[in-house]
Amino acid sequence: MSASTLTSPLRRALPGPRGLVWTVLRLHRTALWIWTGFVVLAAGLLLWLYGPGAAHTQHLLDTFGYAGVQEDAWTAGTIGSPFSGAYNDLFYDPASLLNIASFAVAVFAGGSLIARELENGTARLAWTQSVTPARWLAAKLAVPALFITVGTGLLVALYRMLWSAHSNLLLAGIGPRALYFSVGPATVAAPLLGLAVGVLAGLVLRRTLPALAVAGIAQSAVIAFRANSWPFQGSYQQPELSVRSRAITSTGARIPDPGCYESRACLARHDVVGFTREYLPSPDYWPRQLLETGVLLAAAAILVAVAFGVLRRTSTS
Amino acid sequence: MSSTSTTRSTVAVEAHGLTVRYGRRSTAALDDCSFRLTAGRVSALVGPNGAGKSTLLATVAGLLRPTAGTLTVLGTSPAEARERIAYLSQNKPLHPQLTIAETLRLGAELNPARWDAAYAAAIVEQGSLDPGTRVRGLSGGQRTRVALALALGKRPDLMLLDEPMADLDPLARHELLGTLMADAAERGTTVLMSSHIVAELADACDHLLLLGGGRIRLGGGLDDLLLAHTLVTGRGTPADLAPHLVVESRAAGRGLTALIRNDGPVDDRWQAERPSLEELVLAHLRSPSAPALLAPGTTATPETVTR
Repeated sequence: MSASTLTSPLRRALPGPRGLVWTVLRLHRTALWIWTGFVVLAAGLLLWLYGPGAAHTQHLLDTFGYAGVQEDAWTAGTIGSPFSGAYNDLFYDPASLLNIASFAVAVFAGGSLIARELENGTARLAWTQSVTPARWLAAKLAVPALFITVGTGLLVALYRMLWSAHSNLLLAGIGPRALYFSVGPATVAAPLLGLAVGVLAGLVLRRTLPALAVAGIAQSAVIAFRANSWPFQGSYQQPELSVRSRAITSTGARIPDPGCYESRACLARHDVVGFTREYLPSPDYWPRQLLETGVLLAAAAILVAVAFGVLRRTSTS
Repeated sequence: MSSTSTTRSTVAVEAHGLTVRYGRRSTAALDDCSFRLTAGRVSALVGPNGAGKSTLLATVAGLLRPTAGTLTVLGTSPAEARERIAYLSQNKPLHPQLTIAETLRLGAELNPARWDAAYAAAIVEQGSLDPGTRVRGLSGGQRTRVALALALGKRPDLMLLDEPMADLDPLARHELLGTLMADAAERGTTVLMSSHIVAELADACDHLLLLGGGRIRLGGGLDDLLLAHTLVTGRGTPADLAPHLVVESRAAGRGLTALIRNDGPVDDRWQAERPSLEELVLAHLRSPSAPALLAPGTTATPETVTR
């Protein structure tokens, strides 16, 4: 215990984050580790679905066509359950995880990032160093926003890659359509809006528990809006998504699915040696995604502007 | 150095009609306060609970926006002077998840231009604290020491301390007060600190601001204020003490004991005594209706234009 033990961390050989950035990284280290862990796990799940996880179902599709896909999904017996191990169900789990993450971001931003600091006075501790409240808030927004953008951006890129490769292994219906139209830039914008929602709730309510509750409820509404749930269904319908299914004969000709189900004899009679199946890209995808992203980011920008206004009113920045 | 900047630099805090209200309809926590605190003074801020002491300190620290009036701190606005002000709030907030070393690192990161790491570390070491200990594991007094190290490591020109010593043991209190005063004397730091322990303030401070009901009741150098008052004992009624202003009087045996604000020499019929700081403060706290008194050096100069 000497002066050097206290002062040595201040002078390090490697340049690292300084000032407020260091402060935000250090204070929310646990949350950032949890976020990093979430991104790694979700990326691992996506890569597994892209690679080894798809092999069995892909084999069934190649052999029996769409009937094989149905068989694979139904044998699990728990279609639609989040705990189902069927490929068709696991395919949607990363989307659920991304929604949970955007909810968690709002709760974290409302509670631990802002309101807790206001409630126990540590925000004032920062504001009476050489740091203005406005700069403090800017750092509190920028550092998490960077982590959110990089993490969710990576997951969305992997998800799009997975969709291109294996969306043909999904049961037809509302599921693939909803997934296709929701994964994209808007998936990155949603947790950013969650961050803004949480920060504003924290600054207005100034107490941890009410702030995280309000932020969570508000972000749930955002998620419901994004998922096209009631009451947004009427005016915000997702368009149809076309799928093209063909059987391939030994001559290489592409014929309509003969409807043999899992009868190998029937397949042999029709001289079917393989199948192709793919979801066609929708011309509505980018207009819808960009519009939704724009709406979410504009809402986030408005909330952030209001948050700076609230901060300005309550302190001298 | 021009004459204006010289006069500016000698005034640490100057308030004109300073009013702070929490919410629109509530009563003012600070009500039309005007005073000036000369640089280099160590001023005690005393007053009953709810008098507005914490509000005044937080406002000077730039944490609260005045509802009305002007406030000049170190020649500029409180927000502009942020770098040169240290503020220690009553509950001494610190991040519980940080170690002591990390807490001091926080001070270094957030005060890149002013941080004195060796000085802050010395204050922590004086209390035999291990820098690797997390703040959440510290006792109240140990936390106060770390909070003070964080406030002093900034090497401020103005220290605003809200009940700084309340939860320290007598030894640590003596030690830290000594550190604080030595630093203030050496660097000419202005100190404004609130406390309930009046006796402790008498040794450490040379200036007094007494707040009551959001207003300044007494302000000035300790010696000036004590000289302006006399504790008299004798036979008679408070009316017999005219033309002196009777701050407080009470029956004592067959006679009367009163604290008066002298106006000329006191009549020989009365036994006169210098009051102690505690007697002065208590007398004013007991009689809230006594008129306010600001010693000449503490009155705000009306001609000063701020902001």
